[in-house]
Amino acid sequence: MVTRRVAEALLRAAARRWPVALREDLRREWAAELHVLAEAGQRARMLRFAASLATSRAGAPLVDRAVWHRQLRRTATALLLAPPACVAIVIVAVIAMTTVHFALEMRFAWAQHVQQPLWSALCAGLGVLLALLVARAARHGVRVGPLATAVGIVLPVAITVVVTEVLLSGDGEQLARVLPGVLLWLAGLTLALWGAAVLAGRGRLRLAWTVGVLGAFAAADIAVIATVVAAIPPIDPGQPLTDLPPDGVDRISAPLWLLTCWTDWSFGFSRPTDWERFLITDLVLMEPNFYLACTPYALTWAIRTARAAPAAELAPAGATA
Amino acid sequence: MRMTIPVAKVLSALLAEPGTERYGLDLMKLTGLPSGTLYPVLHRLQDAGWLAADWEEVDPAVAGRPARRYYRLTAEGVVAARRALAELRALAPQTGPSLGGAAGAPAW
Repeated sequence: MVTRRVAEALLRAAARRWPVALREDLRREWAAELHVLAEAGQRARMLRFAASLATSRAGAPLVDRAVWHRQLRRTATALLLAPPACVAIVIVAVIAMTTVHFALEMRFAWAQHVQQPLWSALCAGLGVLLALLVARAARHGVRVGPLATAVGIVLPVAITVVVTEVLLSGDGEQLARVLPGVLLWLAGLTLALWGAAVLAGRGRLRLAWTVGVLGAFAAADIAVIATVVAAIPPIDPGQPLTDLPPDGVDRISAPLWLLTCWTDWSFGFSRPTDWERFLITDLVLMEPNFYLACTPYALTWAIRTARAAPAAELAPAGATA
Repeated sequence: MRMTIPVAKVLSALLAEPGTERYGLDLMKLTGLPSGTLYPVLHRLQDAGWLAADWEEVDPAVAGRPARRYYRLTAEGVVAARRALAELRALAPQTGPSLGGAAGAPAW
């Protein structure tokens, strides 16, 4: 009895690895063969029969494997090209912002104040456009588990951003100041994408977007805070007052620093001051806008590939014997 | 159809008696293949249209066992399998190992 139960459990596991359309027939067929072996009292053969099926590669129909290979190519293309595209977005946005600023600065006094918001808005807008393109590819992307999806998205981003930081940093000191924050963002983004993909897989799309957006925002905010806290000292209350502003940043406004980087604005609060804003944006200039450009496509891919994945499309990739 | 040793063994076993229907355990015994190799091969052959599968027409209550699934070569499968195995045989060295037909010798 125990042998049969073990064998049946193995067969259930084996059937789950085959395309959905075939599973019911396979279960029925294998159960019939198992019954014959059980009637003959061939317990070892029962276990061998079931274990072999459970441990061997499933035989997906050829058409499924062709589809899977096509999906794999589309996924690789989208996920490998999107991060460099985000770097390009940041660069294009800064060129556009500079051009606009150059045209306005002679005529309008406020032109200087629109530089950061304009740059950020362009990054966000172009990031959303990239996400729309990625969404088309995601419809035919490889569907894997939520964690694998999140890691699959973040890994190419990590490679791209680290290589870019190394190329852009004039010296190792600047790299050492910025890189821990970037790695923190990558870890936080992975968690946000994972959570969003889990929820999308359960059909809770609105919640998936909410969790994804808030999680990605929190990851970016924490990354900026960590970078600033590690590199810029706090304001010393005992420091004698001078005409020059203190070379530090008051931690009280920390949650606003990411928004400050995007807008160069303190939202009506006394902190961060103009000088603190200068110190913050002097340290983390490119990164917040890179986060802004990357997040839309990353979330789009995670949610679109996870949502309502038709089980029939989950054909295993394994080739047959 | 990508010809592999397991595929050739299954075709060889089925060609030994092309009109006979075989079930999974039967084919495992004839070919010496484990179930994990045999069933994917059977499905590849079905996808290619070389093999047809039908459920045994028995009443499980009367027979005292569930209905089995039987496999047989289609007309197209018989022709294609003979041709494929002949090509394989032409490529194989004369003293090479047998692909394991039903009687222990190639059946084509």
